[in-house]
Amino acid sequence: MDLSSQRQAVDGQVEVAFKVNGTAERLRVDPRTTLLDALRERLQLTGTKKGCDRGQCGACTVHVDGRRVLSCLTLVAMVEGREVTTIEGLAEDDQLHPVQRAFIECDGFQCGFCTPGQIMSAVAVLREGHATTDAQIREAMSGNICRCGAYPAIVEAVKQARS
Amino acid sequence: MRSVDREDGPVKVTGAATYAADHHPDGLAYGYLLTSTVARGTILAMDTAQAEKAPGVIAIYTPFHPLELRPYAKEENGELTPPIQNTDVRYYGQAIGLVVAETFEQARDAAALVSTRCDAERPRASFTDGLPSAVGTSVVDVLADGVSSIDEALDAGDVTVTATYTTPAETHVAMEPHATVAFWTGDQVTVHTATQGVRLVVDRLSETLAMDPARFRVINPYVGGGFGNKWDMWPHTPLTVAAARALGRPVKTVLTREQVFTVVGHRPLTAQTVSLSAARDGTLVAVKNDGVSSKSASNGFHEQPANLSLALYGSANLHVSRKAVTLDVPATTIMRAPGESNGSFALESALDELAGELGMDPVDLRRKNDTPVHPATGLPWSSKHLAECYTVGAERFGWSRRSPRPGTVTDGDWLVGLGMATATYGAGRGQASINVRLRDDGRAVVSGTAADLGTGQSTVFAVLAADRLGIPVGRVVPELGDSATPPAANAGGSGSTSTNGPAVQLAADAAKEALVKLATEHEKSPFHGQEVTFSAGEVRSGGDGMPFGELLTSLGVAAVEATATSPRNPVRDHAFRSFGAHFCEVRVNRWTGEPRVTRWSCVVDAGTIVNATTARSQIVGGVVMGIGQALLEDLRIEPETGRFGNATMADYLVPINADIPPIDVEFLNYPDTLLSDLGARGIGELGNVGAAAAVANAVHNATGKRIRDLPITLDKLL
Repeated sequence: MDLSSQRQAVDGQVEVAFKVNGTAERLRVDPRTTLLDALRERLQLTGTKKGCDRGQCGACTVHVDGRRVLSCLTLVAMVEGREVTTIEGLAEDDQLHPVQRAFIECDGFQCGFCTPGQIMSAVAVLREGHATTDAQIREAMSGNICRCGAYPAIVEAVKQARS
Repeated sequence: MRSVDREDGPVKVTGAATYAADHHPDGLAYGYLLTSTVARGTILAMDTAQAEKAPGVIAIYTPFHPLELRPYAKEENGELTPPIQNTDVRYYGQAIGLVVAETFEQARDAAALVSTRCDAERPRASFTDGLPSAVGTSVVDVLADGVSSIDEALDAGDVTVTATYTTPAETHVAMEPHATVAFWTGDQVTVHTATQGVRLVVDRLSETLAMDPARFRVINPYVGGGFGNKWDMWPHTPLTVAAARALGRPVKTVLTREQVFTVVGHRPLTAQTVSLSAARDGTLVAVKNDGVSSKSASNGFHEQPANLSLALYGSANLHVSRKAVTLDVPATTIMRAPGESNGSFALESALDELAGELGMDPVDLRRKNDTPVHPATGLPWSSKHLAECYTVGAERFGWSRRSPRPGTVTDGDWLVGLGMATATYGAGRGQASINVRLRDDGRAVVSGTAADLGTGQSTVFAVLAADRLGIPVGRVVPELGDSATPPAANAGGSGSTSTNGPAVQLAADAAKEALVKLATEHEKSPFHGQEVTFSAGEVRSGGDGMPFGELLTSLGVAAVEATATSPRNPVRDHAFRSFGAHFCEVRVNRWTGEPRVTRWSCVVDAGTIVNATTARSQIVGGVVMGIGQALLEDLRIEPETGRFGNATMADYLVPINADIPPIDVEFLNYPDTLLSDLGARGIGELGNVGAAAAVANAVHNATGKRIRDLPITLDKLL
């Protein structure tokens, strides 16, 4: 099927104001821009990773108003007025967040590419109280794929951060 | 054994590690690949008029408006033909163009506006259909005196089993999609690209762009997983580098996940017909494996899964053959433990079947055929403690609780089975050069072109240099993945630590010597003209010592450095392999057939373990990938179209957290001193080999069903 006659490239821009890691940002963007691409390509916050761009891998997980969301399935225009937290905003005053420390101490990663998403999920899972048993942790962390296979250590890291 | 936290941990948990796609040079433009939507044929026309008018579009390259690229000189497990040099379509999802625009969104949108007309032919896309006409004459026969054929040897045994084992296409699914960022400064180009070896990229680019290798600087310190898929340089890289040159501005191209499934290669399908013949006491008398692999029409690489049958168990008579079925599919390439992963599924399943026929415990059968020499060459193994792996593993796992009668142990709705298999992978040591620089800030920089795909290689560098220099690990700065540094081993074939490790030690020693020379010869040195030694990070003479950083600072010398080269392994009268043993428990739901892996122990004999923390993660990762191979992974080729039918991360299933139980790993840690003074072999592939068979054997023990076709999905267990 030839779709070209039905499509028109979009030229307009939208303006969006939101907070990222406590800093107010105002962007004029192509309305097709995802939160993920805005973070990475416009704000150079490249800690958030694009693994699939389809909401299938979890690598792009960030917090919007404290809730974990997939930034690849979120248009940046949708976060107008909201507070976004990325992996770069987790440590405070150069002190690693307890979950970040636990991931290092438990070796909860290898290549590190899924790690920002894993950590953002883990922080939210702990906050939500969804980490009371090993089985619950495994289930709650199953939206974040780790192809290196660090899962057992990720479970250990979440438990360590919980205590 | 040392257990050291990953040196790159802090940058990886804070998002500060810069992977290829994280680079953003000024003036950056975005590339987006166009890919074919037929599997075989000729492109007749590509209408780019509308796309060219779309906002932000800078250029569109196609076979009708190409960037000139020359064929590669030799295959590196990928294609010889660079993209868009002709109108041939060899597989579905082939790169047939590149759109470059001001933004990613504009490039993606414009790509959708290009319409392509093809003269399509029916592709060869069924491995099964191609099996009868598989091609290949490569055969190895090792026969005892007086035996005229392997079949004669098979007939001589008391018990024989024969079966065919098949494995689907798999794909790597490294979390980081392949990405390239290129920018030119005059006639020099800097390339950030995801690779298992920056030198590989320099070689490839200099071939295809017909330029002196010295004009390329390839930098890639952090790699988001490789598993073989980032060994070759794939089409987006030369297109991006050439487009950046043509346009005079930086270009970034990141493959979409769907493109990763087709543009960068996959593990071929295999079929192996294995016959084992044994005496009543379990002694193997003949091993025969006829192995076939799929092969892309685009390139030469295919697996030789039968080869493992030559190397694992003693038998007076051995036979393997290797054939291939050519398909019109994306490039077939190396994936973790190429050949041996699939080879072990067949061989280790067959051993289990033979144990059943003999009424022997599977561990006892393997012990019986454990051999101190390479079965095919007769060379003694350099260091082999496989028997101890079996003993330690059986004890840790509780193997004695296994019921010899399949299908007899239940726990509520679950049938419970235990299985085991041998792990093994080839070992070797190549040549590597490493530079060690002792700086006036008291730090030691260790550099070489090596890659850390998540393996822990950079931490291994830090541990080895720290130990050699007598300083804390935290004062070593590893610098990997830069083509401007000395040529070290690329990451592949489980050879990084065995090859680069000795070079790090030699370079640290050479740097110490350089420092001692400076300390004794520099006129302002407090050690001038004295006899000095270097230990614990200090230059010492008599009772006085001074840390090297302090000495350098006092002399106004920023650093002393030395580069050393460790040669390839010269030993020819021994054979080298890593070994191990997997033990696992599988539960199969009696109503749904759902298989779940619930326990795992793995004991590893891989020589010296430099860092148990990262080594354990390597073994665990191999096992997890093996569980995926056993139960989930199946890249489906649609026979009518040659299209991968499940080319997304939602449809090509890999293990998720909920699929994986705790995994117990034990290292024997016997140095292999014939391989090197360091004594380290390799662990990258080892954990993967045998893992799928251990699961299949446990499934059989649980259910009595022998599944010889991976993956073991619940439909096969109902």
